[in-house]
Amino acid sequence: MKDRLFREVLPRVSKPARYTGGEVNMIIKDWDKADVKMVFAFPDVYEIGMSHIGGKILYGLVNERTPHLMERCFAPWPDMEAVMREQAVPLYSLESFRPLTDFDVVGFSMQYELSITNVLNMLDLAGIPLTSRERNAEHPLIVAGGPVAFNPEPFADYFDAFQIGDGEDLLPELLDVISRNRGASRATLLLALSGIAGVYVPMLYEPSYSSDGTIQEIKPRGEGIPARVRKRVVKSLDEAYYPEKPIVPYMTIVHDRAVLEVMRGCQRGCRFCQAGMVYRPLRERSLETLRKQAQAQLYSTGYEEISLASLSTLDYSGVDSLVHELVKEYGSQGIGVSLPSLRVDAFSIDLANEVQKVRKTTLTLAPEAGSQRMRDIINKNVSEEQLLEAAQAAFKSGWLAIKLYFMIGLPYEAEEDLDAILELLKKVKEVGSRFSRRPVEIRASIACFVPKAHTPFQWQPMNSPEELETKRRYMTRYRQKNIKLSFHDNRVSFLEGVIARGDRRLGPVIYKAWQLGCKFDGWSEYFDYGRWQEAFRQCGIDPNFYTTRERSRTEIFPWDIIDTGVGRAYLWRESEKAKDIALTDDCRANSCTGCGICPRFAVGLDLPDAGLVASQRPVFIMDEEQVD
Amino acid sequence: MLLRCEYHVDSDLRFLSNLDMMHLMERALRRAHIPYALSEGFNPHLKMSLGTVLPVGLWGQKEYFDLELRIPMDPEIFKNNLNEHLPPTMGLNRVAIIDSHSPALMKVINSAAYCFVIDAPADRLEELSQRLLKASELIVRSRGKKKDQNKDLRAGIFKIEVNQNQEFVIMELWVSTGEPVNVRYDELIELLEHNGIAPGSLKDVYRSGNYIYHDAAFNTPLEKVK
Repeated sequence: MKDRLFREVLPRVSKPARYTGGEVNMIIKDWDKADVKMVFAFPDVYEIGMSHIGGKILYGLVNERTPHLMERCFAPWPDMEAVMREQAVPLYSLESFRPLTDFDVVGFSMQYELSITNVLNMLDLAGIPLTSRERNAEHPLIVAGGPVAFNPEPFADYFDAFQIGDGEDLLPELLDVISRNRGASRATLLLALSGIAGVYVPMLYEPSYSSDGTIQEIKPRGEGIPARVRKRVVKSLDEAYYPEKPIVPYMTIVHDRAVLEVMRGCQRGCRFCQAGMVYRPLRERSLETLRKQAQAQLYSTGYEEISLASLSTLDYSGVDSLVHELVKEYGSQGIGVSLPSLRVDAFSIDLANEVQKVRKTTLTLAPEAGSQRMRDIINKNVSEEQLLEAAQAAFKSGWLAIKLYFMIGLPYEAEEDLDAILELLKKVKEVGSRFSRRPVEIRASIACFVPKAHTPFQWQPMNSPEELETKRRYMTRYRQKNIKLSFHDNRVSFLEGVIARGDRRLGPVIYKAWQLGCKFDGWSEYFDYGRWQEAFRQCGIDPNFYTTRERSRTEIFPWDIIDTGVGRAYLWRESEKAKDIALTDDCRANSCTGCGICPRFAVGLDLPDAGLVASQRPVFIMDEEQVD
Repeated sequence: MLLRCEYHVDSDLRFLSNLDMMHLMERALRRAHIPYALSEGFNPHLKMSLGTVLPVGLWGQKEYFDLELRIPMDPEIFKNNLNEHLPPTMGLNRVAIIDSHSPALMKVINSAAYCFVIDAPADRLEELSQRLLKASELIVRSRGKKKDQNKDLRAGIFKIEVNQNQEFVIMELWVSTGEPVNVRYDELIELLEHNGIAPGSLKDVYRSGNYIYHDAAFNTPLEKVK
């Protein structure tokens, strides 16, 4: 297989280094000695998939710490797919060049709603039946994990099981259960898997619908199958596995550097943010552990840069000491430190200056909304003053371009809120003209708000593509010099919106869209809205049902089957507070907000270096829902 | 201290670009804790220069780079340390200390040898090489600068050898990579195709060496530093 690939297939495709494997630190376990064989499948190209931290963790974990084996596979770019189909080369793993059908488990990492068409395409290229119903014990078990799995229902037809939440404990348990059920029928295996906390087996549930199309009930099909599946949580991030020898790709990938995961979770409580809700509670790693991990990774990879990753790295208790230590320790060797996300304040800029003593290119800030009113609605605790101070600090210290992230289509949005974005950009530019010695460039990246499952905005209607288009036109009616606006494609956002809050009835639509040729839907050169519209039409599904429709407080949602630990009562309270333009503080700085995560998982905030002693820990509020 | 290194790249790494190869080397140097020198200035970088660019799709037996060290090191120790941290599919063959004022590899290398592994009888290829060397002009479509114009390779082909290996025949061509004409491997493939070598019978192509060609002699950059 490998010989044929290298001679006949790879010379004909673009970026062949995507498909060769053999990278530094790749792990090839002895196939015959390994217990369960799993392939980690990422439904996008190599350079995206290899940038993902979760995959690095699971790859190292399974291969180093369990008797099982994990290899890798990514979506081939369409030119490679064409040659593979022409030459009848099945989808294969990069470690042993075995076809996916040789594995016991294929695990898809679902980071993005629209990558589902790539999942179907990859299964097809592997010669594996696409739906769970068509597969039996002869076929690999097809599982999925990642943020998209928090609403698994639209994909229920295609996956045998979903892993919900942190994978560090869950995946080894899943592989053990598969090992113990070797030789059993698929039905027996699925039943056994449903007994693992955090595993959702969609085939074992039956949804029913009301006359208005909403869900009446999602019912387990038998005794002993849990009514709801609670996500898994790694209680101590400091003790959790983290790879010290990650793979170093040959080709340049999107995040081509060593990475430390300094913390997991975020409780700033932005009301639009799914990650901020579903990855609670906040858990930090200790400086001591991070120091060791930094050294181990840099020595084993030879990377020239190390990045401090998390949902909000500037909120990490030890960020200041960590950054200074890393710069001091490794700077002389030409190794740099990078911060992927910045908070909008002057402290952030100081720290950014520290890590980027040179090459001040573009600084990125995310105020998300233009008006204070709207920032309060979404609970983004940032004032205009803070933002302008940050901009001033940046321009004074030599940055020449600032990129700002905004969303349009947010709940309760009015024309003033759109005007406010433009005004804010103008103010930032004025600050630049005053404090920078050279002309500055302001870029705004404007996304369309997509209401997500398990967030306070899960009840909110989404703007239609037409409304979003009108807003875009309104905002671009006149140009301002040195201010560039770029808008996300509102049709892509709309489709994300359909799937983000979709249910099982979308299964056939996805299949149809794939049949019509949809793949790489997240890539503008491949996204074809017409084909999706055709798929909805042929399946008799109105996509607006999932997006523009207002939902009642008591509506049963498809994702209610998943228990994130954050209570629905809390989400509704937050939704009401948004309507009242009222803020909710970070529970770390202030009192408990009653989201429910700590009592449900019997955890507290895990902040090893924050100097919190037991008596200072916040007292948890229990609400009516939390007695479960 | 300036080191000149000769290395090989196996078939498995034939799809790496020159930039990929630079990154690979740099990271291996860091893993091996080699005391490399960094350039001054705002954006410090390794003082390493790759002599020649191995085209994507080809593997190579004798490629070269020069590297400046901050602290002197025994070349043999350097070689062994770095080889431990390179992928098993590539490695250093030889390393020598050279005068820090030696002219750059890119300036001195003016010839390369390409091997074409062909499924055809040796005597037929022997006859073909005689024919090529006797021709007054060998026209192909240019792949480099002046794309798609006609280009005469004849003056750039210095020597051809034909050798039988276990399975196939290896036709090795020593060509010019600068004056009078820069001969590319893909232009040579076209030349072979024009002369009856079907694409299917071409089993492999690699670069067997880079040379300093002077007075009808081929010297490697390690043999002839100045």
